[in-house]
Amino acid sequence: MLAYVGGDLLAFEMLYRHHRRTLYRFLMQTLRHRADTDELFQDTWSRLIAARERYRPEAKFTTWLLQIAHNLIVDRFRRQRPQASEEETEAVFRKLDAPESDEPERALTEFEQRRRLQLALEDLPEEQRVAFLLRVESGLGLDEIATITGAGRETVKSRLRYALARIRARFAT
Amino acid sequence: MIGPRDPDRDIDDLLEDGGGEIGDLYRRLPRYEPPRRLDRAILGEAARAVHSGKPPRRQRWIVGVGSAAGLVLAAGIAWRIGNDAMHSPPVAPTESAPVMAPRVVPVEPITESARTRRDEPAPASSPMDSAAPAAPPPPTAVTGAVSKRAANEVDKARKSVELKAAPKPAPAQEPPPPLPEPQATRQAEAPAAFSSDAKEEQAKDKAASAERETGAAADGLFRHRAQQPAAGGALPQSTPSSSVELRRDMQLAPEEWLAHIHQLMRQGRRQQAAESLRLFMRAHPDWEISDDLRELQR
Repeated sequence: MLAYVGGDLLAFEMLYRHHRRTLYRFLMQTLRHRADTDELFQDTWSRLIAARERYRPEAKFTTWLLQIAHNLIVDRFRRQRPQASEEETEAVFRKLDAPESDEPERALTEFEQRRRLQLALEDLPEEQRVAFLLRVESGLGLDEIATITGAGRETVKSRLRYALARIRARFAT
Repeated sequence: MIGPRDPDRDIDDLLEDGGGEIGDLYRRLPRYEPPRRLDRAILGEAARAVHSGKPPRRQRWIVGVGSAAGLVLAAGIAWRIGNDAMHSPPVAPTESAPVMAPRVVPVEPITESARTRRDEPAPASSPMDSAAPAAPPPPTAVTGAVSKRAANEVDKARKSVELKAAPKPAPAQEPPPPLPEPQATRQAEAPAAFSSDAKEEQAKDKAASAERETGAAADGLFRHRAQQPAAGGALPQSTPSSSVELRRDMQLAPEEWLAHIHQLMRQGRRQQAAESLRLFMRAHPDWEISDDLRELQR
């Protein structure tokens, strides 16, 4: 990134090729809409180009890139739809807390598993989905996710826990 | 099989390197790719940002500091130059005018008075004499390569020249002489005047004898002819040359001519008076002259 700030366009192209898929999938899984994903994908890179002079090598480039994308996602969700309510979340956990013996055990095909995971991600509240995607898509740890989302480390861990519970609930139905 | 599990165990599995069971399932989801048009648009935007000529902030900072340093340097030089100009004697361009003034050679026709003046011992120095050797170089010739000391010496020399040359422009401002005839004409005219005077004297001798014979009519005619220039006798008598004065005397009536000779004697110009008397005796050989004139004739 410093090379690009100094005028090396090839350095930017290498950065872009390395991070384009991760960012696009993160946005796609978060927004669940291709047009919105395209728009925010381009917007994220534009913001990065415009703010290139503010980049400091102390920060990991992936963290910086995803932080820009996360801020755009937050803005988009604030404009588009309300957050999942606390009641909805508690209902999911009540269902998850039920004994395993009470749940029907079904053998699902791999296709059905992927479909259910996709649906589960779409149903996740925004904060939980972002935390989950930053973990499984970008491979970030709790501290990095906390940095990007601006939340505390334990908060991130709690969000991940709730996300996993919701996903498992989807598979239990 | 993904199903209900202990949440603490799930989170530990998720935070492992592979992301656990759910992580494995997530990686089997369709892999979305950004479209090519987005790639082109973003890379193009990055290229435009680099080539837009908008320098990075650090480079702009350097440019700003450089500009400020240049301004400070220029201001310092200007201040130093101004200081030097205030402390050193001003070499104003107005000085060039008096320096150049002695170079102006007054051109005037050479008159008889000027000729006689030229024969006299020259005064201290003529404008040309004083200006030529000491003519300083023009101020523009003193460039930055010349040291300040050299410039001061040039100033001193210039001032000395000005002191010498100061009284000299006065002759240059004299009004032109009343008879601005060319010198060659006048020089060629002078001997001709003498020769014509001789002929005229001979003619006048004959005329005088004839006058005495013919009577008063002819005498009046002669007087009238002779009085014409006398009416314009306001000719300058300060420094007339001998030939001019003699020519003028010949135009006078005999009594007036003698009176003029007496006046020359009273002025102490005996030589001039003697020459005029000699000419008078030629023109009027029969005229009775007084004793003092007779004494002058000797």
